[in-house]
Amino acid sequence: MNPLRRVGVGVLGAVLLFLLGPFVVIALAGLSAGETLAFPPQGLSLRWVVAVFGMENFRASFWLSLWLGVGSTALALLLGVPAAYGLARYRVPGREAVRTVLIAPLIVPGIIVGLALLRHVMIPLDLGVTWALVLAHTVLVVPYAVRVVTASLDNLRPDVEEAAVLLGATRLQTFFRVVLPNIRGGIMAAFILGFVTSFNQVPVSLFLTGPGITTLPIDMLTSMEFVYDPSIAALSTLMALLSIAIVAVAERALGLSRYM
Amino acid sequence: MFDHRRIGIALAAPAALFVALGFIVPVAILLSGAFGTPGGWGLQRFAEFFGEPLYREVFWRTVKLGGLVTLASALLGYAAALAIVDAPAGWKGRLTGLVMLPLMISPVARTYAWIVLLGRTGMINQLVTGLGLSDEPLRLLFTETAVFIGLVQLFLPLMVLSLVSALENLPPDVVSAARVLGANWPLAFVKVILPLTREGLVIGGTLVFTGSVTAYITPAVLGGSKVLMLETLLYQRVSVANDFVAASVIAVILIAMSVVTHALLRHAAGRGRK
Repeated sequence: MNPLRRVGVGVLGAVLLFLLGPFVVIALAGLSAGETLAFPPQGLSLRWVVAVFGMENFRASFWLSLWLGVGSTALALLLGVPAAYGLARYRVPGREAVRTVLIAPLIVPGIIVGLALLRHVMIPLDLGVTWALVLAHTVLVVPYAVRVVTASLDNLRPDVEEAAVLLGATRLQTFFRVVLPNIRGGIMAAFILGFVTSFNQVPVSLFLTGPGITTLPIDMLTSMEFVYDPSIAALSTLMALLSIAIVAVAERALGLSRYM
Repeated sequence: MFDHRRIGIALAAPAALFVALGFIVPVAILLSGAFGTPGGWGLQRFAEFFGEPLYREVFWRTVKLGGLVTLASALLGYAAALAIVDAPAGWKGRLTGLVMLPLMISPVARTYAWIVLLGRTGMINQLVTGLGLSDEPLRLLFTETAVFIGLVQLFLPLMVLSLVSALENLPPDVVSAARVLGANWPLAFVKVILPLTREGLVIGGTLVFTGSVTAYITPAVLGGSKVLMLETLLYQRVSVANDFVAASVIAVILIAMSVVTHALLRHAAGRGRK
């Protein structure tokens, strides 16, 4: 073994410890039996994990985040799937420009999107917090929907559709009975990627949420300033486990990493 | 059958209109606010912004932290990626998965872990006071170091992953060939591995740098109002002072930084390929 490799293995170990160690710390801190946040924990118990489920504010923001993730990802797919299909198959004038427009929300920092929507959409149109959040998160998820579905359409040969049409199917029938079943995996992958993105999103929502209505990550962020017990650590652990579980199931079922 | 332009346009139009009206127009209006001056249009607001010592400091701190985080990620990333690529076949996927894992987890949770570690009663301070290295707990939170550590942890996986895919595309045996021809390891790295994986380094570097300079959660939680970066300054200007002009100026600076980084690094990658 050459010396550079031995150094590499050592650094890899340190890097993995640095990347993953903090999660072990936070999980143990969340399992503490004590009253204040500490590591190592003062005895192990599930009391804070249980307590988190009873906290009214976190419960409300959790449900909002959950429905926001599901709703805005569904909307983004309703817009993104036809767009990806139209751009992948038909000769749309200015195709690359349209694609750039659809991907653009990824390039602009989220906090700017949030502020722009607050000042120039939400306030002028007198939009409620929930609708503003749905709008913002849908804008954010559209690029993922377009990108992942486009990748999955590229793997489907257009001659199959031409054959279906030659055999007498209408375009609509062809789409629903030939194309859709074949890109189902891509659509599921886009849904999961979109949901996780929306669920963990902070900067876009920052200016749009208010004291009454807020998403879970922002609720946690504001609570950090005055909560010194292990509840946020417990909640962070639960959120991390939820994300990992979703992604792991998706990887097993769909091979999610193929689409990323 | 795919010659009908109208069908294609009809399919793409709803999404394009939605993004145009719900994103491009409002963002464009916001950005245009940075160029408005009492006498019409101009760059006066930028001159005012950079004339303010605090703002200048925040700007340079953002650039500096972005650069340092990118540099640290590149150094650690190469070592880690080389080790992953060299690992036995069964381990490669598992190790890549472990590096990817943090990317799935909420950045809020990822950042909060550092409060537990670096806080006044955190693990590091318990060690320091317990070992008698210091009588008082060290101030580790709300420092540039804390923000730096948090950002590296957040963005390092992106660098490792792009370097792993670049190293996997390395033609087999080029490194051994260089060794046989007499290059020692550092020379083989600089002359063979580095030029051939330049594109991966550029992609990873762009992701890490733009991610770091536009980060909000990490500087907000680990830096607070003592260690402002551009995004936390933007938030503070709006929420504390309703200063939308400064917010627009910062927004333009942030977008310009992302665009310039993309262009510069793409240029560097293009030159490396020839």
